Amino acid sequence: MRFLVLVCSLAVGALGAAVSASAQETLRIGASQFPSTMHPSIDEMLAKTYVQSMTLRPFTGYGHDWELRCFLCTELPTFENGGAERVERPDGSVGVRVTYEIHPDATWGDGVPVTSDDVVFAWEFGKHPQSGVVSREVYTDIRDIEVIDAKTFTLELEDLEYNYNAINDLQPLPAHLERPIFEADPANYRNATLFDTAPATPGLAFGPYRVSEVEIGSYLVLERNPTWYGVTPAFDRIIVQVVENTAALEANLLSGSVDMIAGEVGLPLEQALAFEERHGDRFQVTYEPGLVYEHLEANLDNPILADRRVREALLLAIDRQAVSDQLFAGRQQVAASRVNPLDWVHEPDVPTYERDVERAQALLEEAGWRPRPDGVRVNDAGERLSFEFATTAGNRSRELVQQFIQAQWAEVGVEALVRNLPPRVFFGDYTNRRQFPGIAMFAWISAPEHLPKTTLHSSMIPSPNNGWTGQNYTGYADPEMDALIEAMEVEFDAERRAELWSRLQKLYARELPALPLFFRSNAHIWPTWLEGVRPTGHMDLSTLWVEEWRPAEPGR
Amino acid sequence: MIRHLLHRFAEAALVLLVVSFLAFALIGLMPGDPIDLLVNADPNVTTADAERLKALYGLDRPLLDRYLAWLGGALQGNLGFSRLYAQPVGAVLTGPLLNTVLLMGLSLVLGLVVAVPLALLAVRRPHGVLDLVVNAGAFAGLSLPSFWLPLLLILLFAVTLGWLPAGGVHAVGDPSLASRVTHLVLPVLTLTVLNAGVYLRFTRGALLEVVAEDFMRTARAKGLGLGAALVRHALPNALLPLTTVVALHLGTLLSGALVVEVIFAYRGLGKLTYDAILGNDANLAMAVLMMATALTLACNVLADAVYGWLDPRVRFDG
Amino acid sequence: MAEAQAVATVRPSVVAGTAGAVLASLAALCVVGPWLAAALGIDGTSVDLFNRLAPPNGAHWLGTDELGRDYLVRVLEGGRVSLVVGLAGALTAAVIGALIGIVSGYAGGRVDAALMRLTDAVIALPLLPLLLIVAAVDLSAWGVRASGVNDVLRIVVIVALFGWPTVARVTRSAVLSVRRRTYVLAAEALGAPAPHVLRRHVLPNVAGPILVAATLGIGNVILAESVLSFLGLGVQPPTASWGNLLTDAQTTLVHAPRLALVPGALIFTAVLAFNVLGDGLQGMLDRRR
Repeated sequence: MRFLVLVCSLAVGALGAAVSASAQETLRIGASQFPSTMHPSIDEMLAKTYVQSMTLRPFTGYGHDWELRCFLCTELPTFENGGAERVERPDGSVGVRVTYEIHPDATWGDGVPVTSDDVVFAWEFGKHPQSGVVSREVYTDIRDIEVIDAKTFTLELEDLEYNYNAINDLQPLPAHLERPIFEADPANYRNATLFDTAPATPGLAFGPYRVSEVEIGSYLVLERNPTWYGVTPAFDRIIVQVVENTAALEANLLSGSVDMIAGEVGLPLEQALAFEERHGDRFQVTYEPGLVYEHLEANLDNPILADRRVREALLLAIDRQAVSDQLFAGRQQVAASRVNPLDWVHEPDVPTYERDVERAQALLEEAGWRPRPDGVRVNDAGERLSFEFATTAGNRSRELVQQFIQAQWAEVGVEALVRNLPPRVFFGDYTNRRQFPGIAMFAWISAPEHLPKTTLHSSMIPSPNNGWTGQNYTGYADPEMDALIEAMEVEFDAERRAELWSRLQKLYARELPALPLFFRSNAHIWPTWLEGVRPTGHMDLSTLWVEEWRPAEPGR
Repeated sequence: MIRHLLHRFAEAALVLLVVSFLAFALIGLMPGDPIDLLVNADPNVTTADAERLKALYGLDRPLLDRYLAWLGGALQGNLGFSRLYAQPVGAVLTGPLLNTVLLMGLSLVLGLVVAVPLALLAVRRPHGVLDLVVNAGAFAGLSLPSFWLPLLLILLFAVTLGWLPAGGVHAVGDPSLASRVTHLVLPVLTLTVLNAGVYLRFTRGALLEVVAEDFMRTARAKGLGLGAALVRHALPNALLPLTTVVALHLGTLLSGALVVEVIFAYRGLGKLTYDAILGNDANLAMAVLMMATALTLACNVLADAVYGWLDPRVRFDG
Repeated sequence: MAEAQAVATVRPSVVAGTAGAVLASLAALCVVGPWLAAALGIDGTSVDLFNRLAPPNGAHWLGTDELGRDYLVRVLEGGRVSLVVGLAGALTAAVIGALIGIVSGYAGGRVDAALMRLTDAVIALPLLPLLLIVAAVDLSAWGVRASGVNDVLRIVVIVALFGWPTVARVTRSAVLSVRRRTYVLAAEALGAPAPHVLRRHVLPNVAGPILVAATLGIGNVILAESVLSFLGLGVQPPTASWGNLLTDAQTTLVHAPRLALVPGALIFTAVLAFNVLGDGLQGMLDRRR
């Protein structure tokens, strides 16, 4: 009897799903991650960025063309338009003053305008040592803020760098609500902020939507924000439903309880591929290659891996194209260097290292590694060509690729001893104090035209001498690379910078400080009746354009 | 009796204290800390940032200091903030606590409803066909991996037949009773099968022992039917060990469903425990762990007391 | 009715024998299988991306996994690890438990009280969450390198840590009952030294109950190992265990359910067989008395 009731209620549920597509007042988005905090500047988390791109807007960000543009500001300040001005200080250092105007109609949800004061508060909060922001550099790089009027302010930046006018991470905070809380007790602010204690407060949003309800760990409801200054969004409400188990997430999509799955925090690529195979006719599945660069980092202090020929041989032994084709249905692009082909500074003309077992073996011979009956090469000193090969445990896709690579290296006489660690161990001392003895496999996430200074400059090799600063975990030190990076930092001419970028990529692909594998792709799944979703591939997410999402015209 | 109980509770409190320290130390030994995770693949986070954040979250202090601070807070009812949810731990716990009690309570009752009548039927003819089948069933229930049965059920009911949802507490945006019930079916079914195995074995064993005793023969001799004799005389006697088992099982109420909750993405305490441990949320992990330990210990003492109360043969001399 | 009578005569030794035979053949398969496969040119590590998730066929009796490896060989290799962990874990737990039980039962008094309180306390702990925390501890802080062998050792230690109390209790009560027997009392009265009494009289008599408890423990250890591996805290790939094979199978549950069915069924069979074996041994012990 009970079972009958169940079956009936399920049938009704299915009907409901069929009907809901016609009356679209609410869009239900499924995601696989719940934001740990809703405060814009504390903790960086993809799920939070996804939601906050609908409730807030950054001053500047990258568009679909990967070019910097204004979201909250009215015009990008440049030297040409007079918005930027070089500052030479008595101590010889060179900085820059950049002036921004906040969109005149930008208003917090409670009717208070977004003003320069909100920027000043964000800065004061961010540079406070007890603020709890992840990266303080954004704030400490700002020497001073001059408030010109309620909607105009000038930043004086410590250093003049080529991307001087990008202030993507300087998120204005509602000073009228948050400043009293912060000033009352800065150390406790991260626990007391309205973003977490009362996330549905209207004054916390100025974007197309504002949060109206939060059920911790399970869903967030967003409602249209009446004070939004841009195009009115089509949907009255957006519900972001979190289902961490991606198999269950997929089931929710199929049963109609969510309409779409967020590409940026959704299904892993393999799962999306299998999904498309079976249900591709009912949904639009789009794969967007992105800025997540999967690669192998070799510890160059390891004498085996310090030899460039060995690194090249290792790369040549891997059939990356087969992995891309067979495991990821060709959706995950093989990387030639660390610059994504979608980036305007990408240089296509670099060595690419397609699989070539014979060449790999020849290189290993040349490097003094001779084959042995047990299958593992040895050198004249009798040392085995063997090293530790680690990645993050629990990342299914990486583990599969790793086992494949291990097997292919075994074919050319290289023994890779797999050791996988939970992410918190892996990204602890193991990598950031360079304790990994062999090869570590992980990904870097960066911005378009992101200068790889922290990962490639020789001053960024973590050591006790520099307080373990930097992320040059391989220990790569090359004066040519250092010079290139330093030149690029202060090169304002786009054409000359592109030339430097080209040289950097060629050098990288030649010297192979790290072995490039893939650029990860996100799989976006949305219903056939939805239009206007445009994935970007970089860290500014598709929800930054949520006001353009609308149901397709009937009859199409 | 009361003195004995007080004594046992004091002992339990001591065990709880020791476990809390060991657990805190072990969580401290868990590699890396929340801050190292932030550095995860973000080229902009400097080591100075990491050190500043560690100091801010008190992670740079010695373990004992941190433990004493935690203990002081916990004794005053302040369990701290959950790192994963940016909320006070208490606020994070309430929803999952109710979900787990519902799940475990239902499956405990259903397990008994299945096991007791089956055991009664089985011992009508000890070592008969039915008894053999029931006993085999009990063994199967005991031996089933708690993570395999859910996969089989999902495969059958969610994937192949499409009758029931594969996971969650209720359908997205639909917290109605019907939706909750459909989402409970598979996890409750799993736990019922696993529980019933244990109960069945205990009830059957206890009944078999009682059946062999003299008063049963007397009851039969007085002309009472076998079934009636079993229900009226054997069952009350067999209830004693069963009560103990159930009381002990009640102790696992908060932690026992961990695997099942994880597989069905059911937001209960078990899943929360798992997420907290893996997500390095020390405050949350400590809170759920201490709740589970306290309940297990309390139920042990309770089982002891119930045993003493029901069985006049047991006398306490503590 | 005749059937029921026939069933009633099934002797514990037959039940135990059957279970033992099932286990022996399972173990033999797991030990010999991979060698045999290697001799036939199939090994569980060679990947073939063009032959992923192949259904069962003549070359691969159980098909292949996501990397195109022979699944039968993977399963048998996983069985080695799971069975070794089960046996070693239960054995370690039994040794610890037996020692504590004998000391407790033989010494009596305060020692007994203290040890039994400890046993009670460990039994009363919520097992799974604590297992998770212990398993998540980073051993590399003490210079233990992660490797397949160390993984297995680690799991053995962890499960033994929580598995000994049952054996300790059983042993203690067996020791107590033996000590009350006249010949033991007589031996003690005649001034036989304690080690002698223990060896000659106590050990032979408590060996049976310890064996039963240890056998029943193996099933639980196998379950514990597979749960930990399933949750990602046990044996790490590419070393296979029945538990982590099931973890991997979750993602392919829909298109290749056999990957989940096979290792799960094997865990079930092995655990069931150990439980039945233990029960049968118990029955034999009871009959002897």
